[in-house]
Amino acid sequence: MLALLGTAGVIAALIGSLLLVVRGMRLTRGMEADLKSPAGLVLAGALVAMAAMQIALLSDDFSLAYVANHHSVATPFPFDAATAWAALEGSIVLWGLVLAVFTWMTARRLGGGSDRLGAAAVMVMGGVAIFFFGLMITVANPFEVCVDALDIGCAGSSAWPFAAVDAPANGPGPNPLLQNHFLMAVHPPVLYVGYVGLTVPFAYAIGALALGTPGPEWLRRSHRSTLVAWSFLTLGIGLGGWWAYEVLSWGGYWAWDPVENASLMPWLAATAFIHSGLVQRRREMLQAWNFVLVIGAFALTILGTFLTRSGTINSVHSFTQSAIGPALLGFLVLVLVGSFTLFAMRSHLVASSPRIETFVSREGTFLVNNLLLTVYAFVVLIGTTYPLLLEAFTGTQVGVGEPFFNRLAVPLSFMLLLTMGFGPITPWRGAAPGLLWSRLRAPTVVALAAGLLVAVTVTRVGWVILAIVLGIFVIGVIVGLLLELAAARASRSGRPLLVEVRTVIGNDPPFWAGQVSHIGVVLVAIGIAFAANLPLHADVELAPGESVEFAGYILTYEAPFRRDEPNRAVEGARVIVHRDDRRVGTLEPRANFYPGVTGGIVTPAVMTRPDGDLYLTLRNLDTETVELGLDTSPMIWLVWLGGLTTATGGFWSLSARRRRQVIEPKPVLADV
Amino acid sequence: MSERVRNVLIVAVMAVMAIALTLLVSTRPADVDRVEEIGSRIKCPVCQGESIANSPSPMAEDMMDLVSERVAAGVPDQEIIDELLGSYTGAVLLDPPASGSTLVLWLAPIAALAVGVGVIWWWQRHPGAVGDPPAPPTERSRTRLVVGGVVLIFAFAGILVVASNSLQDRPAPASGAADLADQDLTEVSDETMEAVVAANADNPQVNGMRLALAERYFDAGDYRSAFPHYLEVAEDPDATAAEAITALVRLSWMAYDGNDEVETATRLVEEALAIDPNSTVALYVKARVRWCGAGETDEAVTIFETLLADPGVDPETRARIESDLELARDGEGCP
Repeated sequence: MLALLGTAGVIAALIGSLLLVVRGMRLTRGMEADLKSPAGLVLAGALVAMAAMQIALLSDDFSLAYVANHHSVATPFPFDAATAWAALEGSIVLWGLVLAVFTWMTARRLGGGSDRLGAAAVMVMGGVAIFFFGLMITVANPFEVCVDALDIGCAGSSAWPFAAVDAPANGPGPNPLLQNHFLMAVHPPVLYVGYVGLTVPFAYAIGALALGTPGPEWLRRSHRSTLVAWSFLTLGIGLGGWWAYEVLSWGGYWAWDPVENASLMPWLAATAFIHSGLVQRRREMLQAWNFVLVIGAFALTILGTFLTRSGTINSVHSFTQSAIGPALLGFLVLVLVGSFTLFAMRSHLVASSPRIETFVSREGTFLVNNLLLTVYAFVVLIGTTYPLLLEAFTGTQVGVGEPFFNRLAVPLSFMLLLTMGFGPITPWRGAAPGLLWSRLRAPTVVALAAGLLVAVTVTRVGWVILAIVLGIFVIGVIVGLLLELAAARASRSGRPLLVEVRTVIGNDPPFWAGQVSHIGVVLVAIGIAFAANLPLHADVELAPGESVEFAGYILTYEAPFRRDEPNRAVEGARVIVHRDDRRVGTLEPRANFYPGVTGGIVTPAVMTRPDGDLYLTLRNLDTETVELGLDTSPMIWLVWLGGLTTATGGFWSLSARRRRQVIEPKPVLADV
Repeated sequence: MSERVRNVLIVAVMAVMAIALTLLVSTRPADVDRVEEIGSRIKCPVCQGESIANSPSPMAEDMMDLVSERVAAGVPDQEIIDELLGSYTGAVLLDPPASGSTLVLWLAPIAALAVGVGVIWWWQRHPGAVGDPPAPPTERSRTRLVVGGVVLIFAFAGILVVASNSLQDRPAPASGAADLADQDLTEVSDETMEAVVAANADNPQVNGMRLALAERYFDAGDYRSAFPHYLEVAEDPDATAAEAITALVRLSWMAYDGNDEVETATRLVEEALAIDPNSTVALYVKARVRWCGAGETDEAVTIFETLLADPGVDPETRARIESDLELARDGEGCP
């Protein structure tokens, strides 16, 4: 029944997508056609499909093969609902739903029959939707019924919704790592909004190219969707790091794992695109480059999906074992070849663009930032794909891991921080040296002083000092600019400085929202520098009642414990934590045992303090003693706070509109 | 104070601060944790892309212990790395060298940067003037574009064809394993078996060959090479009961015989017995471990007696158990 409902939803969405393409084509040729109702059909179909999946999961309907293989009666809420995106087929339903929402919103904002660009964009989105809903009725069908039940799980399934059902009584449940923390219920949808949102600027770009109108119109109209996508992508990456830290028990949050890289690459490309899009809208430059970037960003989301969902990462050889790999790779090639062929055919329209007068200008710093971000994305791309390509073609196995990425990414990140300090205070078209100097000197002195303070009181590790100096420089520049603009207004109006600070921000919220994101990036950079360079580690073995001193804490092993939860058994050690003769808390590093899974899933216990985290991992537990891994992550909370701040900047920028076109008030320019 | 004097003073202050910072940072005593540093450069053989410094797996911990020992003994980094790569199959350097097949990894980002700078420079030299009407496409340029597009499509198609071919040319994983499993494995070299096992790491059918290979290492006394394969089988939820028992029993024996870890050995053999409480080989190894390792002679005698009561035990094993039982009853140490 639910199989039928779900399949009907997918087919309805597929028909809607086909109608979007056919009718979009008529509209772009100037004929009358309605796109809003097929977009509504796509959305309704996708909603029905997701609803069918959710009902099946929440009501333990094991007649669906997907439910039989990825769900179990004991899986508690919210993990049963989140199982909808715990495996390939279900995650494509989620992808389809998010795409349907974006398509519907794009179609809703169509400006009538004369809006050829909007119609072309909706048409492109319909084409992308055909691919994803097509996957759902072919190689990754989430609504196959189980026709060969096992004791637990399903051995054979049929795509025909009326096939004779042979449903098991229970399933194995989702991957234990995915039901170990509530973040796993939130992280994938957030990330998917980010990935799929990038389809909108891509669709507008392709639409603009196809119609031969490469002006800034497509950028203006896709700007908000780009910001939505970027903000969610930022949030999703941050949540992913947090999840890894809380669940994977190695004390880290980022390992340059291909799955992580798959989300970082589009983020880097989208970040570059947001900046270069601004250059085109303000100065009509970088037209061609914006097309390249937005096509690249979209292609990278597909590449990321291919890498993470085809199993290619685990083994190059699993590529041919499922049809999903070739399907996604084929789509990627189609996107790249199709887009760049179209781009080449329209290149005579986009090639013309004025020259930069001087690199000491806003557009100059944006150009440097784009170069750095693109090289950054390229480093991640080649580091992730080269081992796969080399093994596929020659059979040679090489490892590309943290040492390689860090060696290239760390210098690139510091160069980006430096550029971030110059960008906001450099006016468009060019800055006089006097103006720059007046805006740079105070932040530079403050930044160097902060560096000295940290070097004398906390640490003399070079990377940490560099992160502090550059980070405080960036923040100082932003605060300095805000005060300078507000003070100039206050001296004219006679109103208090704070009132004028609000006015300055209110005059150009998108700019200041961008600066909030910059501050977020700074916090992340400082947090990473501390956590990566100053952690402490020890392995200890303790008998009950025994204590150990570690990093200023006194840890006392009280007793082992064991408790049963609905979906798992938990075994662990209860550890009392003292600091400065005061009890600051109890930690329970543990292992979670899931039915049908050999061995326990080791889950760390984390205590957050202002100077960083105490992170305990269970290594071994027997009747007499416990072996624990003890770690500190100095200032790690800055990374989470920074990620959140960066995303907040994006969301704020969405909600606020610029009131006036003025960026630099007159008195400041008069100083030039 | 004039503006100029003030600026000079500010610059002087900045310079002093920068010099002080540089001095502070550069005079810091080096405290690089060499063990962590080396560990972060080696891929853990039984994990997915994790370094041995990050992985909580027993094998990674084992390898990290080795690194600690060698660092303490003053062995140079490169020698430690070479030893790890040599003695653990599947351990790969995560820090690709700037030579050979990974040279391109280091050159490509530099090339990308150079191309980027080059494009910007070219664009600055050949800008289209502001507001120029776009040049109408000539017939020639249109032809060129069409030809270019077609060439591009063919190039991609060619790459795809080559890619799929070379993927198929490789020893086909699943079928290769099955074919080899049916063969007389005595004909196959260790290296071939390693290659097939590595290529089919995700395929449960390969467990048979993996065990055969591990047994060879085990018989030759090469516990270090045997260990990862037994571990892989023991941790594989798709392994058959017989395979899992063999692997656990061997791991147990190696833990006792190779590392003197009696507790670990007992735990492992108990895991095997949890799968099949009547497994002869598991019971025998448990008796030996308890007797030789923990000195629990009585426990061993009981187990030996139980085993002898089982008519299913083949004569050769029976003879060994009988001689062991005699020694144990006499209160002598184990041979």
